[in-house]
Amino acid sequence: MPEPSTMSRETFLLLAQQAGLDIQQPRMAELYAYVQGVLSSIAPLHGLNVGDVEPDMVFNPLEHGAGS
Amino acid sequence: MNIQELCYLSAGEMGRLVKSRQLSPVEIVNACLERIEATEPVLNSFITLLPERARAAARQAEAEIQRGYYRGPLHGIPVGLKDLFHTAGVRTTSGSRIFDTFVPAQDCTVAARLAQAGAILLGKLNMHQFAYGPTGENADYGHMHNPWDPERYAGGSSGGSGSAAAAGQCPITLGSDTGGSIRIPAALCGIVGLKPTYGLVSRHGLTPLAWSLDHPGPMTRAVEDAALTLQVIAGHDPQDAASAQIAVPDYAASLTGNVSGLRIGVVKEFFEAPVDPDVARAVQDAVSLLGELGATVSQVSLPMFRLSQAISNAILMPEATAYHRELLQKEGHKLYPPVRLRMEAGLFISATDYLKAQQARRHFNAQVASLLREVDLLAGPAVPVPAPPLLTNQVEIGGQKVGATAALTQYTRPYNVSGTPAISVPCGFSQEGLPIGLQLAGRPFDEPTVLRAAHAYEQATSWHQRRPPI
Repeated sequence: MPEPSTMSRETFLLLAQQAGLDIQQPRMAELYAYVQGVLSSIAPLHGLNVGDVEPDMVFNPLEHGAGS
Repeated sequence: MNIQELCYLSAGEMGRLVKSRQLSPVEIVNACLERIEATEPVLNSFITLLPERARAAARQAEAEIQRGYYRGPLHGIPVGLKDLFHTAGVRTTSGSRIFDTFVPAQDCTVAARLAQAGAILLGKLNMHQFAYGPTGENADYGHMHNPWDPERYAGGSSGGSGSAAAAGQCPITLGSDTGGSIRIPAALCGIVGLKPTYGLVSRHGLTPLAWSLDHPGPMTRAVEDAALTLQVIAGHDPQDAASAQIAVPDYAASLTGNVSGLRIGVVKEFFEAPVDPDVARAVQDAVSLLGELGATVSQVSLPMFRLSQAISNAILMPEATAYHRELLQKEGHKLYPPVRLRMEAGLFISATDYLKAQQARRHFNAQVASLLREVDLLAGPAVPVPAPPLLTNQVEIGGQKVGATAALTQYTRPYNVSGTPAISVPCGFSQEGLPIGLQLAGRPFDEPTVLRAAHAYEQATSWHQRRPPI
């Protein structure tokens, strides 16, 4: 089961406003619900211990040692 | 040969007849155009059809071949491009009315290479808007329909490419794949879809969805056709920063029909995820057949599979939003509402989450690499369900309701994260008569092995010979 998102509605509206969205629009409720789902979907990454590697910024599949 | 028989020849068969001058490119193009005229009102595969341009190109190809200038297996063969491949002088909408009148000045690298090989551009294919969805919905140009049942999804985002190839409208189509957008419509429409290794085929001149996950590739009715197409479009392109400097092998030469000694690992976690019983059975039967053909089949474990959706979402969504941000701000109200929702949601994924996903990607890819030292190929379903009914947001798998986007992409996304080559090849039909796809994934740039196994399986079965009722 996805972990619950922790973004409050107030934080969501603040970020939405900073990002240039019109927070008066009624569709913000739908977006908030959708964002909660997205954040839940990525929540499993939070508990992951990946401090031993750098981010894969320039992606090269051969770097991963699986070349034939 | 009647029109339907001609249209259902593979590109390889067409090419051999063209080379020996038993068939003219003009006959092929005219047959395809007639087939399109008969089926397009139901399928809606194309956004822009180019009949006059295609007929003129066919006449030119015919003249070249008659005077002994034969360019190769795609000479005189019709192709269709997903409408995010930029084409000089031909509008490129990316599936949005916002770009209804956008006419690029230059061909993308893939289009240029196909033209150089003598392929004939038949038209630009319908797609999920901005490639941002796996179902094949498009409110601007009309939804795409599955040739096996027009009331069902063709899949996406390259849905028009899937339906056009499956219905005999066009023998070769091109798609792009960021989370499964080649392999999903291929599986749902009953054709072959190859997502090549990241960096093997140039992305130059394609409207991006997510830079680090986008892969252009062929969608065809036969594995040989995917190999022939890849031969033309693969190879280094200095205009694509991610393009690999690697020698391009002879892909058709790998189609030996022999899988003896090949080690195939069946990923056990794929069958622990929600999967339709018809799909699970068809894929297990397909793997068993590969074993009977001489491959060594074993079960392998990819524990980080459960994290692939998280990694993919945290990378794909911010990259897509970053690319489209200006459009979102200025013309967001013109977007298909579910696409707008996805683009806006990308604004809320933090930079630290994006970077953590890129770190997790290294761990995930190390796990895939480790498995691909034990075995030559990883096998599993391409999509966990046969084509769902149009406009359904949720699918039911074994009594469990799952979001359609998450379900359709659950087996394809991992190989966008890893960048490794993966193919969907037809491996059966559901009880309702809908196609099912077997997914085979290999080592980076080892397309020859992926194609070899897919081809051997195809030749040992008759699934690819079935035609949709349309």
